[in-house]
Amino acid sequence: MHIPDGFLSTPVWAALDAVAAPVVGFVARRAQRGFDESKAPLLGVMGAFVFAAQMINFPVGAGTSGHLVGGALLACTLGPVAASVVMTAILAIQALVFQDGGVLALGANVLNMAVVGVLAGYLPYHLWGRGRGRRAAIFAGGALSVLASAVLALAELLISGVRMPGPALSVSLGLFVISALLEGAITMTVVSALEGIQPGFVRQPSTGRSFAMTALGIAAVLLAAGGVVFASTSPDGIEQLAIQAGIHKPLAGYGGGAGLAGIALLYVVCLAAGRVTRKRST
Amino acid sequence: MRHTAVEEWSRGASPLHRLNPVAKLFPLAVFLAALATAHRELPPLGIGLGLLLVTGILAARLPVLGVMLRGGVVLPFSGVFALVSWLAGDPVRAIELVLKSYLSALAVLLVVATTPVPALLHSLERLGVPAFLLTVAQFLYRYLFVISGEAYDMRTAAAARGGLTFRAASGALAVLFARSYSRAGQVHRAMLARGFTGRFVPMSPPRLTAVDLLFATLAAVAVIVLRVAVERLA
Repeated sequence: MHIPDGFLSTPVWAALDAVAAPVVGFVARRAQRGFDESKAPLLGVMGAFVFAAQMINFPVGAGTSGHLVGGALLACTLGPVAASVVMTAILAIQALVFQDGGVLALGANVLNMAVVGVLAGYLPYHLWGRGRGRRAAIFAGGALSVLASAVLALAELLISGVRMPGPALSVSLGLFVISALLEGAITMTVVSALEGIQPGFVRQPSTGRSFAMTALGIAAVLLAAGGVVFASTSPDGIEQLAIQAGIHKPLAGYGGGAGLAGIALLYVVCLAAGRVTRKRST
Repeated sequence: MRHTAVEEWSRGASPLHRLNPVAKLFPLAVFLAALATAHRELPPLGIGLGLLLVTGILAARLPVLGVMLRGGVVLPFSGVFALVSWLAGDPVRAIELVLKSYLSALAVLLVVATTPVPALLHSLERLGVPAFLLTVAQFLYRYLFVISGEAYDMRTAAAARGGLTFRAASGALAVLFARSYSRAGQVHRAMLARGFTGRFVPMSPPRLTAVDLLFATLAAVAVIVLRVAVERLA
């Protein structure tokens, strides 16, 4: 979900742009240091691949189809840092050339999809990508990546005061879950097809489980979950929130627990679904 | 494909095309910020800013209707949210969403339609965007049409065979991935053979001229004056 300009309130887009700028700078430096300069053409062409992949439709049944989003696939093949740079470049080109997503909202879109989406997509692969649950982890990564991005975007819209009555909110959450499961399935099947072509395409997660990577991934997932909590407790926007803050109303209540539990439940369902499909295909 | 129109428009030779990209990015930023932070008297402000953009499109000798229709790509998305807002009893927000998202997209489109993408990305480097990211974006844009062409051919071939199953679509995507990957290697070796040092260097680095500065100032002032005038008069 690419947020256009005009949707986010000024404090929201300004704050997210201010956060995104140093993050993108850091990621770009890391990517440049981690790779030799030959990787710039590779990353660019793989960005073009993700763009073009939107043309390949995956039938989902009932006459509808979906397509790859790509964050988790790139993280499994190029590594999370490079994936983040590629996704940022894609979002920038989409915003500038195709008016898909706003320019002022670029910071928000980059944080949602290129940073949190990629980290959340890489986390399961990083933790369980080596053992028996490998395929399940890839599935969960794809699903989690889309879900985290979409939920964060929704939270930003709600905090900005965009009205979303209950039914509309349920419908969009339902759509998010469906597209998350679809992305998980696409990522998993494409990765195994890639390994059939050339196993070297898919990176093995590093043996020493880097603490920083795990912590960042978990932080990304928690941020998305926190976004839901925040947004669901303040459906009427930031003005309402200011009033609440004035009378000191505790934020964490029923809604908070439910949001987190929902995310955790979905995570388990994704893992389980991945396991089942893995057994069937072997 | 829809992007070829913008690509063609950006190769024009109007005075607006000849300006330094930075001189267009600065008023664009002012325009977007002025529009995003406005909350009062939106319809008259929207008409005023819209007329300003139409003046720009005319000055760039671009097809007004074509550009305005092309800017409408945001409308399906904002239309849905506007409808939800309207039904939720917030018609003011509904108008705001459509107006702001459309005018912002049109403003960005006007800049892209008068500036070739490589020049635009290059000028962003001068504004402090990381060079590595922009080099990746340059390659992305250059190979977008090539890889999209391959994907299009694959889709046509699949349609001719009666459509793809889920598994076949995964296979097709994996093949596209592998082809793109090996193409990246070829591209890089070919560029090394031509003396590529890891970054793009424009033939003549554009300098900011007095005309650029004048345009940037006037365009930014026009936007600010328009907003202040609309809010004062109302």
